[in-house]
Amino acid sequence: MKIPIMLRIAVLVVATTGFYAYVGQMVPQKEVQPPAEIVLKSDLSQAEMAKVGREIMDGKGLCLTCHTIGKTTGPYRFPDLANVDVRAKTRKPGYTDVDYFAESLYEPNAFIVPGFNPGMPTINKPPIGLTDQEILCVIAYLQTLGGTTTVTLQTKHAFNGGPAPGAAAQPPAGAK
Amino acid sequence: MSIVTDGVAKGAGVRKLGIVLGPVLGLVMFAAVVWVASRFVNEYEYKDAYRPPAASVDVTPRAAGEAAEAAEAEKQAKATPYAEAEYRTFPIVGSRVAIWAVAQLHLLFAAFVLAVPMFAFIIEVIGYKTKDVRYDRLAHEFTKLLSVSFSLTATFGAFLTFMLIILYPKFTNYLMSVFSPTFLPYVLLFFFEAFFLYTYYYGWGKFHPLVHLGLGLGLNLVGTSIMMIANAWLTFMMSPKGISDNGAVLSVWDAIVNPTWMPINVHRFIANIAFGGSVAGAYAAVKFLQATTDEERAHYDWMGYIGNFVAISAFLPLPFAGYWLAKEIYAFSQTLGLTMMGGAFSWLFIIQAVLIGNLFLAANYYLWLGMGRVEGVQPLQKFIKYLLFGITLCFMVWATPHSIIATVSEIRAMGGSSHPILGYLGVMSAKNTAVNILILTTFMSFLLYRRTGKIAAVAWAKTGHVVQLTIFAATAVFVIFLGVYGYFVETTVRIKLSVPQVLSVLTAMISITAIDVFLFRGAKKTGEVRWGRIPPISQYVLIFIAVTFTWLMGLMGYVRSGLRQHWHVYGVIRDRSVDAFTPTLGFATTVVSVTVLLFFLLIAFVFWITSLHDRPNYGGVRSEH
Repeated sequence: MKIPIMLRIAVLVVATTGFYAYVGQMVPQKEVQPPAEIVLKSDLSQAEMAKVGREIMDGKGLCLTCHTIGKTTGPYRFPDLANVDVRAKTRKPGYTDVDYFAESLYEPNAFIVPGFNPGMPTINKPPIGLTDQEILCVIAYLQTLGGTTTVTLQTKHAFNGGPAPGAAAQPPAGAK
Repeated sequence: MSIVTDGVAKGAGVRKLGIVLGPVLGLVMFAAVVWVASRFVNEYEYKDAYRPPAASVDVTPRAAGEAAEAAEAEKQAKATPYAEAEYRTFPIVGSRVAIWAVAQLHLLFAAFVLAVPMFAFIIEVIGYKTKDVRYDRLAHEFTKLLSVSFSLTATFGAFLTFMLIILYPKFTNYLMSVFSPTFLPYVLLFFFEAFFLYTYYYGWGKFHPLVHLGLGLGLNLVGTSIMMIANAWLTFMMSPKGISDNGAVLSVWDAIVNPTWMPINVHRFIANIAFGGSVAGAYAAVKFLQATTDEERAHYDWMGYIGNFVAISAFLPLPFAGYWLAKEIYAFSQTLGLTMMGGAFSWLFIIQAVLIGNLFLAANYYLWLGMGRVEGVQPLQKFIKYLLFGITLCFMVWATPHSIIATVSEIRAMGGSSHPILGYLGVMSAKNTAVNILILTTFMSFLLYRRTGKIAAVAWAKTGHVVQLTIFAATAVFVIFLGVYGYFVETTVRIKLSVPQVLSVLTAMISITAIDVFLFRGAKKTGEVRWGRIPPISQYVLIFIAVTFTWLMGLMGYVRSGLRQHWHVYGVIRDRSVDAFTPTLGFATTVVSVTVLLFFLLIAFVFWITSLHDRPNYGGVRSEH
């Protein structure tokens, strides 16, 4: 039986389209929901803050889209975060780890880790737009990577009304 | 009892049963007929409408309650102040899918309507320069597809506008307020487009050739300007500029020339040509398969070849334009770039690799089949197996994902989500190298096809061949070297390596073509091209290419738009509708597939209407027009 040409063409079009739709079903399927509004209790413990911080990094903050934690072989697009707290304490003179993390999140282009390109977005502005409290939670988690959490939800730094880095360590003006 | 008497007894038994059951069955059928007839009479016969006498108005407590409820609802409606709706819902499929399908269909037809005049104009110019009327006829035949497509484009454009106003009124209002100075020029250009298009088509052969070419040029300029205005609206949504953090307009011009505007203009310009060429090639393929004479087959084989040639020629530089666009997206926002390549959409690019790999394979296969048209082609056909090997290898590298779908135990066994060996092929160093070699190999296929039936007759022929081969080999080695080198350097260096890779391939393509033009000037012919002498499967390959191109456009349209995720205007105007989430790739590809099928249903309609032009008039008289 001779199959009409138009039927053959129709079958080809449907089969080709169907094949690509099938390929689309074969790759990992993930539905990405808009970030949920996070309500933080004012009395979160440091351990709870670190836990929330990790969740923010994985979700709303999009941090782990670029950064890895504990990747041992390259290539690295952005710095790996394993033991980052150890490096944060000594990365910039006069900066504590909290100062360094805060600057990295609020003004990411102020200091670029050697060997990498600028590219980190300002985290407290859209499209990511974390709140000051959420950023403190992220810092709490980052401190656990090679150190211990010291921040609380009341911690002040240069970007939420606190002193500039190094200011606390320096003697007051006029003192001898 | 014998078998015969047994059979007779059985037959008598059946007859008795029939005598008993026959009247019963008859009664049942009669009852059924009466029942059906009475149902029809009761339900469908005309009856005067029932009007109760005024004195017997229903005053039951239920009726009174319903009247009171209605009055209360009306009172509440009147008391509620007017509020502008932010979103409305489209039934069944939802607002996003409805807008998505309509926008995609509008864009596919618009791409076709913009692309066909471009290559029709170029073919007409070739015809004018060479005085070969075949080119003029071919250009005219391409433009036959335009008028119906133009109407469909405009219809879908209006449909899209209404859908936006109905389903996303607040956001559409915002977009219109930002770009208000662009809408009237857009409408004006549309008038010009209609004027040029219909004058170009209906004025074929009616004006001096240069005047007609001027109309074609005008059509292309206006069409491109329309595309660029529309591109400003959509690229602004992805990479907004010229507005404050809360969306207030600071500069309309900055909003227009936002960071991704020009890369999208260039990318779409090239992609439209590739897409238009492939659809025109599919039209020729359908006509070839339906052809009844050798002349028709020869004509449509040539037309299909030209359509495919246009498509693939435009397709080769397309990845470079794509890289530029991706670079600008990264430069505008690393987050946006990484969402695209490393986040929610990263697997989409594996699907893209499958599509592009198929396109390259199909395009090369068509070229190799086409070599059979030319006598004396055998010496060149031996190279095909090497080209096929190279293309397949590149395809495999390109389609290798960086991380692999695996069970927990498999991930443990591999030591991570990346395969210990294949994982190295899933990074950009390998993929960039693969795509550049793929382009270079397909270019060589073109070159081989160009040479079929010819032998270079210039004195420096041998040197020319050696130089061409050396450029090709040196470029391939250089591209592979940079790809491998990328594994041993820091990110800052590695990112920049794609530029020399792209430039070296472009340089090789341009220099080899330039040498080829001079090399084959006055070449000795070893065989004639026999148009129409090509296996029918080649025509199905052309249709496959057109479907794949269309699907690819649908997929990449999705990633461009979906990349904003839960933002109408990225980082400025948040999407708060129920469709603000990013769907799975399986869902997205299903929507793309349905849209592509709808497009081909409509394009079949365009082909059919176009074919009416050549049909005999009613009564058997062939039209003179």
